[in-house]
Amino acid sequence: MAASVMLEQLFWPPVLVFAVLGGGVYLWAVLDGLAARLLGPPQAQSVWLSPLSRGAWLLVQQANTTEAPDLWGWRLAPALYLALAAVGLALVPWSRDWVATDLATSLVLWGSVEALATVVIFLHGWSANSHFALMGAYRYVALGLSYLLISMFVLIGAALPAESLALTQIVTSQEDVWNIVRQPLGLPLFLLVGLALTFRGPFNLADTRDMAGGTGVAVSGPPRLVWALARSAMLVAFSGIAATVFLGGWLGPWLPGPLWVVLKMLAVLAVLAGLGRWFAVVSPSRCLSLMWLVLLPLSFVDLVWAGVVALL
Amino acid sequence: MAVSWLSRLAVRGPATVFPALGMHGEDALYRLARDPGIALVDTPRHAAILLVAGGVPPHLQDALRRVHDQLPAPCATLWYQSEPLLELNQPGAVIIDDPAALPGAVKKTWRRLITREQDTAPRLLPDTPPNPWQGLGDDGHGGEGMMGGVPYGRPMAMPPTPDLRDGLALDVLTFRLGPFFPLWPAGLAAEVALQGDIVQQFAVVSPAFPQAVPQIFVEAQSRPVAIAELERKRVQHHLYAFFHALGLAHLPGLARRALALAEQCDSRPVQALDKAFTAFERALVRRGFFALYLPRGATLEGEDARALGGVAARAAGVEDDARHADDGYRRLGFSPVTQQAGDVPARWRQRLAEIQQSLRLIGRAEQGDAVTAATDSIELPQGTGSAHELLENQLPGLEWSEALATVASLDVAEVSPWPHP
Amino acid sequence: MELLTLLLILLLGLGGGLLLQRWPGRHGASPTYPQRAPFLGGGTPDTHAWSRYHIRYYPMTLLLIAFEMEMMFMYPWAAVYVEQGMKAVMEMGMFLSILGVGIVYGWREGVFKWQ
Repeated sequence: MAASVMLEQLFWPPVLVFAVLGGGVYLWAVLDGLAARLLGPPQAQSVWLSPLSRGAWLLVQQANTTEAPDLWGWRLAPALYLALAAVGLALVPWSRDWVATDLATSLVLWGSVEALATVVIFLHGWSANSHFALMGAYRYVALGLSYLLISMFVLIGAALPAESLALTQIVTSQEDVWNIVRQPLGLPLFLLVGLALTFRGPFNLADTRDMAGGTGVAVSGPPRLVWALARSAMLVAFSGIAATVFLGGWLGPWLPGPLWVVLKMLAVLAVLAGLGRWFAVVSPSRCLSLMWLVLLPLSFVDLVWAGVVALL
Repeated sequence: MAVSWLSRLAVRGPATVFPALGMHGEDALYRLARDPGIALVDTPRHAAILLVAGGVPPHLQDALRRVHDQLPAPCATLWYQSEPLLELNQPGAVIIDDPAALPGAVKKTWRRLITREQDTAPRLLPDTPPNPWQGLGDDGHGGEGMMGGVPYGRPMAMPPTPDLRDGLALDVLTFRLGPFFPLWPAGLAAEVALQGDIVQQFAVVSPAFPQAVPQIFVEAQSRPVAIAELERKRVQHHLYAFFHALGLAHLPGLARRALALAEQCDSRPVQALDKAFTAFERALVRRGFFALYLPRGATLEGEDARALGGVAARAAGVEDDARHADDGYRRLGFSPVTQQAGDVPARWRQRLAEIQQSLRLIGRAEQGDAVTAATDSIELPQGTGSAHELLENQLPGLEWSEALATVASLDVAEVSPWPHP
Repeated sequence: MELLTLLLILLLGLGGGLLLQRWPGRHGASPTYPQRAPFLGGGTPDTHAWSRYHIRYYPMTLLLIAFEMEMMFMYPWAAVYVEQGMKAVMEMGMFLSILGVGIVYGWREGVFKWQ
């Protein structure tokens, strides 16, 4: 009996989480590659193979170090980022009673994952003790502190009608109508948070080209691969949360619930890939104004909207 | 064999190249940027191949050695129209002079390197810290007292200095950047002092390599030439400028489009060019090049702008344009276009407007085979003044991304007295 | 048990990430000092990068703290919002509008500029 409970609770959830993470990272790379081919310069290699080739090359390349890095911090940062992504994905419910870890406060935990991601990204840039990496790290924190609030307001907006902070409850509260319809501002704002969380596209403040790659300027070889994996993994976890909170999670006709979650996650990833490749990078000071003076007030509006609708 | 399947997989990816541009090295950059099997990267840490394109003057060769040694293994160097460094000038050195052969040679080197047919390049500089430190001084950190040492061969940051923007006294980071920093003009090296990411001081150590003007502009100084041909080269120059700036703005697809347009300038019918350019211009706006990326600052005032000439001057409202005095141009109805703001976005708007204007001129000039009338003063694609001194005045006080956007918006390189080879 | 699972997932992610970084490459020798120098396009730094860095968005971080405190109250508030009805609306409305004034004030003072 105990053995079967152990298996149920300690073996299958991690297997599930890491399988989805692995598959998701690969599919994200493919989707991003498709977006890059549509919006960016043409590439010679097939979209299916190029992520694998890139990974293989990074495994072949020598791992660089710097004159006096905080080596522990530098190597821990990618691993921590990956671990945070895994924790985030563990919260996503695949159906009514199939959740890797079903917490009553999973929404709060996701909030802390977002906050810790900022710390980890900063650590990655700072610990290299390299000029551009340091600048990238500090620049990212400005963004990291700004998106946090927007994210929390839209998530709490979704928690209002559910009367709960558990993601499963948030899904069941969408049985009549999904949050994307009920709170139309929520998902667009949350998608921007996703780009900021993984410093992609317009919100790539950490690794901009003007700093020759910012936090990644001194990284090469396997550590760079893990960092890239973790960054994609975080996006996969993010898409899981977005699908759960705004797109009704497992809800949907005909197909089984988990399949719906996967399809919705892929839809979110595809939109993110397009958004990320479409826009130019935002200059840092404009980014701050944009976040606090446009997006944050919009998230207020979203919360008020959600509140009014929940009471009606 | 674990390594072999990894290598086989890795070798199918794009060849990663860090370009170290010497004099007239841009051609190599443009050629590689058009090749889908090659990925140009911004830091040697992300590259396996160092491409030295164009001649590197002796006083910059030490900097080249430093860049060379920063590529992680496995790495190799290619020399395009360039003389290899003395210690690398061995029988095995890959030297390419034919532009058409360059992409092939890059891919071949990549293949040989990853499949271990070719050994990784040796390190050129001795494996010693920049300053001796171990075991020296009170604490073995290479100096006297708490802050006086050189741990790991370098001192800690400079003593506090009041900041330009708010006067807060914090540490200043000083370093020399370039001449092989790929995000600004080739050859430019500068002593930079930063506080946070705001430039405090900027002093040019070595100017950007002079840029050759196309042959036709040289010929125009001795005989009447076809206006259409001149204007096609002018459009090309501006589009290359867009290629660099769009790369900085994280719009690689649009940068590629600017490059493709630039390559088509020589031969494509002007109507088709015009159509493609209009679409490009629209995409530029839609994808946030102006709204998201370009900073508002770095305004040039009258005197500075006039001294610089060219696009930068006209973007600040100075109506200087040698074409205005040319009867050949006047017959085509030429009159200078200008912007008033004089800041970074105005310079890019001005470039867009001038491309549009040149395309119209090409259309009209090709109908009547119009030629230039004056040979004494020719409006070059770039301004004739030196932007280096201007940078030293303009950049302090700017945030780093603003500073680089400003550099990209100006024609920093001086005009070379020799035409393009 | 749920938290134990979560901890396990965290540790597995951490361990996997660390292990993969130690992938046995074919390049045994550790990087030389010139390779380890910060990349500055061939240029050289005078000092280490670590310094008392001038953070330009410092006033914004102070504003953030105010909002973060609010977040703490908002989580439990969200769970009882529908049950409490108008009372909850008024409470959070007041709280938010005070903070909103803070944003407007910060904007007037140029907090969101890089200065």
